[in-house]
Amino acid sequence: MPAVTTEALTKRYGDATALAGLSLSVPEGACYGLLGPNGSGKTTTIEILTGQREPTSGTASVLGVDPVAEPIAVRRRIGVLPEREDPPSFLSPREYLRFVADVRDLDDPGDRIATWARRFEFEGVLDSLSGDLSEGERQRVMLAAAFVHEPELVFIDEPLVNLDPLLQETVKDHLADYCERGNTLFLSTHFVPVAADLCTEVGIVVEGRLAAEPDPAALDGDTLLETFSAEVEAAGTPSDPGTASTTDGGSRPADAGDGGC
Amino acid sequence: MGLFVRMVREEYRLHADLFGSGRFGVFPVFVALLVGGGGWLLGQTGVGTGAVVAGVHALVVFFGLQVGTIGLVGRDAMRDVLGDVTLLVFSARTLPVTWRRLLATFLLKDLVYYVALFVTPVVLGLAPLLFGAGEPVATVALLWVTVAGTFALGSAASLTLAGLAGRSKLLAVALVLGLVGLFVAGVDVVAVSPYALFLDPTPATAVVALAPTAALAALAPLSFEPGQAGGRQVRRVEGDTYDRLAGLFGDDRLGSLTARPLLEVARSSGSVWKVAFSLGVLFAVAAFLLDRVTAATAISPSPGVAFGALLGLGSFTTYNWVTSLDDPREYLRYPVGTGAVLAGKRRAYLLLTLPTGVGYLALAAVWYPLPGLLPGLLVFPAVAVYVYGLTAFLTGLSPNELLFDTPLFAAFGAGLALVAVPLLVCSLAAGRYPVGAHAVAVVVAGLAGLVGVLLARRSGPRVDDRLRGAT
Repeated sequence: MPAVTTEALTKRYGDATALAGLSLSVPEGACYGLLGPNGSGKTTTIEILTGQREPTSGTASVLGVDPVAEPIAVRRRIGVLPEREDPPSFLSPREYLRFVADVRDLDDPGDRIATWARRFEFEGVLDSLSGDLSEGERQRVMLAAAFVHEPELVFIDEPLVNLDPLLQETVKDHLADYCERGNTLFLSTHFVPVAADLCTEVGIVVEGRLAAEPDPAALDGDTLLETFSAEVEAAGTPSDPGTASTTDGGSRPADAGDGGC
Repeated sequence: MGLFVRMVREEYRLHADLFGSGRFGVFPVFVALLVGGGGWLLGQTGVGTGAVVAGVHALVVFFGLQVGTIGLVGRDAMRDVLGDVTLLVFSARTLPVTWRRLLATFLLKDLVYYVALFVTPVVLGLAPLLFGAGEPVATVALLWVTVAGTFALGSAASLTLAGLAGRSKLLAVALVLGLVGLFVAGVDVVAVSPYALFLDPTPATAVVALAPTAALAALAPLSFEPGQAGGRQVRRVEGDTYDRLAGLFGDDRLGSLTARPLLEVARSSGSVWKVAFSLGVLFAVAAFLLDRVTAATAISPSPGVAFGALLGLGSFTTYNWVTSLDDPREYLRYPVGTGAVLAGKRRAYLLLTLPTGVGYLALAAVWYPLPGLLPGLLVFPAVAVYVYGLTAFLTGLSPNELLFDTPLFAAFGAGLALVAVPLLVCSLAAGRYPVGAHAVAVVVAGLAGLVGVLLARRSGPRVDDRLRGAT
């Protein structure tokens, strides 16, 4: 059974169309990368699949559950790391993770927090206010919050932003290990090298539609970049070469967000 | 000048983006109609024009104080709710402008912006009442000056206090106590407010009436330390504070959903004192209005009902504190409905509001006989519960939407008036029918409290639907 499927998923915000009939399928155990230029609908896709937003039309299934009809059931089984969100400024990482553990009804929150702080290397700031931490530290805390309940499927919007190169390697290793253990990862990124490095399957989304699903055997950076550029150009969407060809996924330009779509 | 114009444009775009330019644009018109209608209604019930003008000054100083208080946590709230919002006022490191000049321009912009958006419509709304009373255009112009000055006094006072509190909390507390001491000692604080100029428009009075406002306006930008604008200092907290606090509320999901807003309010600028400050301002306004009504008429209002009703209505500001420091969409990532989030917020709101309000009722016993205040102990909590339910139902986890969203503001105002008007009538009637009026007030407040509970229960799914874009 696929971990994630969507069928003709459409989302409109007023006159703007974020998703225009997106259909895709992600097998269990895959590290799936949804690659697309800014504003192509990646964030909206993740928001719908994680029960945070309702589509205008179309259907979706996540681990066999409909995220539109049963959002809380879906959220219980998944982890989510949004692109632009920080831990609460006035809670320490320890307090924030304790909060997440409580709302997820987890046992042994203390042990879990210690484990994830060690894994993502923020033990030293566990009791500092999150608002005072560096962007990289906050990103690590958010990664821990997405994995603290050890879900079988995690959605991550831009996984490596704000991380230094050494920590990027640590996170990549963790994500690869996570998938090797049979879990599913759904990544959204506009950094081609990130998708090429991490993903076993890639879907290229342009203007709210799945434009291509390159052969998993041909997921080296150069080939993927060529395919990506060709699809974007075919759709007539101006791509941002700065983001598409950046080799260091951590140093994104300041305006490289997804524009909420 | 260029910086000032850009800041005004930035403020307009921020509001237009938050509330939608159409709904936001009609807000001044709505304020003018509301004030005009209220003034006319009060005139019909025999309240003199002078009393209406005094009341408007009292309400505007309250609004100014609140705007300044919002400045206390504005940046905290913006950072957590809107993400990394970058406003010109925070750009001293990248622009060739000193930090203090940026702040002074920012405060001037706020003054001009709110005078245009709020004070001017208030005065225009009152103009027909003044003309009807035979007053010339010059009186309306004078009213505009004194009401604008009153708004400046309120906002400059609370900003100065916020700036001084950043340097020394002790100094800020001493200042507040000093002001309260002057008031208790019988010093006529009205004589040094812009309202005095309206009562006696002479050059000598102008100097005395406007000097404190001008001094505070100059002091406000000087009171802040540049370090507060962005120096990076990592603050550490006790590792088990959260666990102990959540444990007090049941050590479960609801315990955590209660502990989080309490900690966020306590650790953000102004700490829990901002709740006491907001309700304290309202307490002072209520005391002023009671004093004026007693002095101007033969009526002896019930202080318990009046304080209970006004403090309960003013609890809206506490709702704002417990909801403004997080992004409602964050909770959509967790396996928890918005109803549970609101239940946690409700407990935090009640824990902050009820002891503070009851404290002010106890303080009122210094000036008013205790038996007259006792009904307030029933009225205040019930009205506070009603205000919670109404606000949660209409605005969900984003009460700031009320500020300039005209239809929402109208619905909220109507909801408050439904309870405020009968309670204030009961307060006024208590002099003549003490038992009956107090009984009716308690019943009205009790019913309002029940409605509040029902509205609160219905708000969870409603907010969920709104956040997920179903409605």
